[in-house]
Amino acid sequence: MRVPQAVRAGLIGGAVVLYLGAVGMLERFSERSIIVGLIRFNVVVMAAAFFVFALFAYRRASGEASTSLGPGITAGTVAGVTTGVVVIILSLLVDAGVDVRSMFLRISPAFFEAVTLGTNPYIGLIILAVMGALMGAAAGGFRRLAPTPRTIVVTVVGTVLLLGLGARLFIPMLQGLGIPTAWLYRSDALTILGAIIVSVLAVVIRLYLRRKGGFRKALVEVPGVTPSNVRPILFVLGAIAVLAAPWIGKQFVADVLGTVGLYILLGLGLNIVVGYAGLLDLGYVAFFAVGAYTVALLTARSSSMVGATIFDLAPEPLTNFWVALPITLIVAVVIGILIGAPVLRLRGDYLAIVTLGFGEIIRVLILSDWLKPIFGGPQGITEVADVPAFGADTNDPRVLYYLIIAFALISLFIAGRLKNSRVGRAWAAMREDEDIAEGMGVSVIKYKLLAFAMGAAVGCLGGAFFPAKLGVANPGSFTLLVSINVLAVVVLGGMGSIPGVIVGSAILVGLPELLREFGEYRLHIYGAILVMIMILKPEGLIPDKRRALELHADEPHESVGPLTAAATPGVQ
Amino acid sequence: MTISARRSTLGIFSRLPIRRIVLIVLGVIITVAAIAGARATLATGQYSGRVWQDLFVQGLARGSVYALIALGYTLVYGILLIINFAHGEVFMAGAFTTLFLAGYLSSSGFMASQPALALLIMLAFSALVSMGVALLLERIAYRPLRGAPRLVPLITAIGASLFLQYTFRGFYGEQVRAYPNIPGLAGDWNILGLSIDRPRVVVIGAAILIWSSLYLFIERTKTGRAMRAVGEDREIASLMGIDVDRIIVVTFAIGGALAGMAGILFILLFNQASFDMGFVPGLKAFTAAVLGGIGSITGAALGGLILGLIEAVGPILFLSGAGIPSVGQLTSVVSFTILVLVLIFLPGGFLGASEEKRA
Repeated sequence: MRVPQAVRAGLIGGAVVLYLGAVGMLERFSERSIIVGLIRFNVVVMAAAFFVFALFAYRRASGEASTSLGPGITAGTVAGVTTGVVVIILSLLVDAGVDVRSMFLRISPAFFEAVTLGTNPYIGLIILAVMGALMGAAAGGFRRLAPTPRTIVVTVVGTVLLLGLGARLFIPMLQGLGIPTAWLYRSDALTILGAIIVSVLAVVIRLYLRRKGGFRKALVEVPGVTPSNVRPILFVLGAIAVLAAPWIGKQFVADVLGTVGLYILLGLGLNIVVGYAGLLDLGYVAFFAVGAYTVALLTARSSSMVGATIFDLAPEPLTNFWVALPITLIVAVVIGILIGAPVLRLRGDYLAIVTLGFGEIIRVLILSDWLKPIFGGPQGITEVADVPAFGADTNDPRVLYYLIIAFALISLFIAGRLKNSRVGRAWAAMREDEDIAEGMGVSVIKYKLLAFAMGAAVGCLGGAFFPAKLGVANPGSFTLLVSINVLAVVVLGGMGSIPGVIVGSAILVGLPELLREFGEYRLHIYGAILVMIMILKPEGLIPDKRRALELHADEPHESVGPLTAAATPGVQ
Repeated sequence: MTISARRSTLGIFSRLPIRRIVLIVLGVIITVAAIAGARATLATGQYSGRVWQDLFVQGLARGSVYALIALGYTLVYGILLIINFAHGEVFMAGAFTTLFLAGYLSSSGFMASQPALALLIMLAFSALVSMGVALLLERIAYRPLRGAPRLVPLITAIGASLFLQYTFRGFYGEQVRAYPNIPGLAGDWNILGLSIDRPRVVVIGAAILIWSSLYLFIERTKTGRAMRAVGEDREIASLMGIDVDRIIVVTFAIGGALAGMAGILFILLFNQASFDMGFVPGLKAFTAAVLGGIGSITGAALGGLILGLIEAVGPILFLSGAGIPSVGQLTSVVSFTILVLVLIFLPGGFLGASEEKRA
């Protein structure tokens, strides 16, 4: 029996919503309002699921079916009804005294409340079915919209979601700028009036820019701005925004931005290894740890410091941060080469596992009783000295933010120059085909080692700031998950793409800091993102051109297609 | 790789085989250190023969579990040439889910009256759950990526591993949960004059049985022959009328089922389950597969047993003599060091396919 596409899409959509409920996401998300008293985040997520799977109903549709609302409504309704029916069955089980929660922990009263929008399961079924049908119709209608209304819809939804979810960032920033927020926000969610006002504003601005043909062209019409100086002006504006950001708003903003900056640093380093050279390094956290521990060992006041234990020196910092930094760089590069050298002959996937093994080895060693006199065991190294900067010792997140930004800029510059240099081209050649690159005279071993060393150096820079920021270096901060976080940043942004790293960090590191509700599901969502990106868009959000071509090498290329067919007439 | 080995003389190390010298020196240092450590440990006379025997059997039992998981890596790698990084999570899925069935069997009194049957039911159930997860994984995460560059399925696998871990954390909660005791498995059995923990006997016995049936399946049945053919050359196999997609699905199913059964055996040894229980055994099992020679079924068994033994005996034998405290903490260091050494000195593993074939 062949199940129609629309029904199948609906069933899968229902299963996805139920899954989100069963892992507890809907319940957690329901704690967060987007618009006060109107829309909670769990509703947004459920509606989005219905919408997306209703779009799937059109995947293979053609002709009339591709423009009618039918498939979308069918899929949406099926998804809603599936969800509702299963929820009713679950509630009946619970009523019959079956202890569902002894297995599925999250099928709690709060689960039922989140899925049925606070009603009972039967009314919930009706609500879900209607919601599914509406979203299905919306999906079908959305496909038929002309460009302008489509822009309006996307802008309104995007603005409300961005401002609603980013409340914890925007409220202190607006207050810092002296703008009252009471009209816009009430307790971390948009007010109805505020949502309407910002939506209208956003739509007006968006449409105005559209008519002018883009932001830059609109900017040129401002007096004093000419096409030739528009770039520098934008640059200065951007620089002012970046520099002023931590002073607008509270310490919290500086903290979040500092963390994002840290991941930009780490991401740039890993981007060299994974993106440029095509070596999947899963033990990247090792360099992060090396940077953190070297700085901590050299600048800590505590007695677990090397000098105090081995050389019996007085428990005082050996040196300050700025002296420690170059030493750290050297140590990291040496360790990078030591780890890299023996394994570089290995093929890509073996390399990944071996680097992962190295990362674990370093973590376990740091944690062990054996090396406790040096690294302090699970407790780590405490009392790391503050960074002397601007004439004073400080661990003020705002000052550290500037330092991190400065190093990120230097790394950005180096990474950008490297990419288009002789070295960068050698890496690209090596990544695309190692044997051919070697045949063309690229010394694969040399360039692989160089990639490892560069990656290690940048990664340890990120690590160096870590103990300076927190005052301690402890093994809990250097788990495999850090490696995977950084990998996710690089992969989401686009392997080999420098702007991608910045966007990736902002999304994957900045966003979860703002959404504490996400905290628990952060890694869950990272996992899903890694899989989805690889399947749907392996080149990432902001693709590097060359890398994108490589990743789609086996797909027929439009401009190449007819050429190859013509060149091989015998095949037909 | 034989070609590239010759070519390496063209690299920057053209004059002297520096790399080879470094490797040999490294190998000698490690061997000497290991022997010295072992001598020092034995010289203290701190550990009796009974302790060594215990460690040995413990290593064999743990190794049997690694071997069964390693089979999943090896089968999939042999056919698709991808490292199914999420295989550890497939293992976890079966073992963790069966916890609830075991709880039911235990509270209903069935386990007390029919312990052997209960154990069989648990094995079958766990195998089914893991198989289901493995099939979903193949369908959703790997099938759309056939023919993609190597890095792509590997990153997908890492993502899938994380996703599965946190899915089950979401379903069943984050705490470590104790399994109900299976009656009749407490105490020792006397085998050949040695008294051995009963769970270990069951684990080793079951693993031998499962491995042998798999071996017979691969060697003697039509599907097994088709699997070998697909592993040999996918394109030609499909020309010979083999449905490659079906064989890949079968491979994932078998790998999943083996992982599920390994999960229950693991439970017999450690008696607890949690959402992150699969990660480290998965990594160790991969090490075992590489050690034995990835792609080889006998190699997986051999690699698993050797790794289990080294893990059980190694830290005490090699490290405790050197005066290192709490050597138990360093188990992972020992096994990952071995992985690195094997990959450097013997990249094909003990029974691996020839070098050219894997390139």
